[in-house]
Amino acid sequence: MLTLALESSAKAASAAVFDDEKMLAFTIQNAGLTHSRTLLPMAEGLMRGLDMAPSRLDRVAVSRGPGSFTGLRIGMAEAKGLCWALDIPAVGVSTLEAMAWGGPVLDGQMLCCCMDARRGQVYNALFTVEGGKPVRLTPDRAISLPELESELIARQEPCILLGDGAALCYNTLDRSQVTLFMAPEPLRLQNARGVGLAAMGQPAVPAGELMPAYLRLSQAERERLAKLERE
Amino acid sequence: MRILAFESSCDETAAAVVEDGRKVLADEIFSQVKLHEIYGGVVPEIAARSHLEVISLLADRALKTAGVTRRDIDAVACTYAPGLIGAVLVGVNFAKSAALALGVPLIPVHHIRGHIAANYLAFPDLEPPFVCLAISGGNTMLVDVRGYTDMSVLGQTRDDAAGECFDKSARVMGLGYPGGKPIDDLSRQGDDRAYDLPRPAVNDGNPFDMSFSGLKTAVVNIAHHAQQTGQPLDKPGLAASLCRVVSEMLVSRTMDAAKLLGYKNVAVAGGVAANSRIRADFEAACEKAGRALFVPPLRLCGDNGAMIGAQAYYEFLAGHTADSSLNAYATMTL
Repeated sequence: MLTLALESSAKAASAAVFDDEKMLAFTIQNAGLTHSRTLLPMAEGLMRGLDMAPSRLDRVAVSRGPGSFTGLRIGMAEAKGLCWALDIPAVGVSTLEAMAWGGPVLDGQMLCCCMDARRGQVYNALFTVEGGKPVRLTPDRAISLPELESELIARQEPCILLGDGAALCYNTLDRSQVTLFMAPEPLRLQNARGVGLAAMGQPAVPAGELMPAYLRLSQAERERLAKLERE
Repeated sequence: MRILAFESSCDETAAAVVEDGRKVLADEIFSQVKLHEIYGGVVPEIAARSHLEVISLLADRALKTAGVTRRDIDAVACTYAPGLIGAVLVGVNFAKSAALALGVPLIPVHHIRGHIAANYLAFPDLEPPFVCLAISGGNTMLVDVRGYTDMSVLGQTRDDAAGECFDKSARVMGLGYPGGKPIDDLSRQGDDRAYDLPRPAVNDGNPFDMSFSGLKTAVVNIAHHAQQTGQPLDKPGLAASLCRVVSEMLVSRTMDAAKLLGYKNVAVAGGVAANSRIRADFEAACEKAGRALFVPPLRLCGDNGAMIGAQAYYEFLAGHTADSSLNAYATMTL
């Protein structure tokens, strides 16, 4: 089963092609160029390099969030366009779960995946590793740093920080009460390899139904609700 | 040649199938007006989210309505500029991925060129050259259409679009959003000389340039003044006066342009072309000047996919195709 994996939830964009769980090709770009220009040519280049027509794809896996709203939409619009044209299904993968699968999956370790969500929050999920695979401990959520700190202290386990919020957590959380490690740099950020690996165990759905998990309303909606609450 | 075309530059998601630039096989539109109504205007983030939610479904519907399969599609087109960037990005990225997967050419289309091309769908015999006034919520542009893909901007608004002026005026008069239709409806019952509104002149340089922000401010001030002093506001009169002034500004410049260029044909395009005062004034002016007037039916005046498919055909003939690195742009010269 051939899967194209796309990742564009943050600054870097990456694409990978998998034959079942075996990664055939992978490419990443982290130059700050817009994903709208770079991501599809990257996917096209991988398939050309593999001498593989896009029509051979069985499914497309893509980060569904959390992450940059625009970045998520670029990846997902491309996944939807490919799937629509080829009449194949898609798999939407949690960005945080993709981060865990692409990280240091050492048995017994706790992985704390965090993206800087600003406004004093991180998008976060916790995983433990069993048999070389991340197993989810919490759902994806937007959580304040003090809340995350209390939770990690209560769990009483050392944990490995991943994601673009790793440094923020490392520098903010109370390290006298919880043991934190930064994942080594090449394994720290979400990428298409993690998306492809995380997608393996997940069911594919009609791509038209796929929607990003933004985990946050638009600013206009938040302001309107806040205003209604005040009145 | 059958082109599958997408439009997602503002608050309508649209997918169409158009044959040889002139024949509409399908024209599916999902309007987001209901989603934005409570905010009194288009919210870009909500627009972008909604486009992504419905675009696959609209593509399915377009094929079904056209009675064709994916294999019958010879090219994929999309609006790539100008527009709300988050919104345009959805259509561009969907379209270019679909084109790559289908193995067919990808054709980027300028949104205003699409509006102009709506005339080719409505009037099978219309061919360039002609002068075209493109008026919508986001754009007001007078265009010299020398050829299908050879055109230049004669003049445009220096600030707000004509449609923006209608929307803001409707808002201060409590008529809701979008403002074009309620203003038009109300104006029919009003005295078009009830209020002496300014005709903002652009005196430096280009006689075809326009300005609507001063007019908008004048309407806002009249409405606020009435509110503060407790005097009754003659809303039908204000709406009618506004329509008259906007129409005079647009019609006079368009007719002057046609005369200067020596074109027999005058076309109007875009959502504001639905305004009945503007239509009536254009009809009278063209009859007087002995020119032929082309205004597409209402459905083709608003944003739609068919107009993108129509223009895409001529862009393709001119060799204007793109590869998978095509990006979306908020602004772009015509």
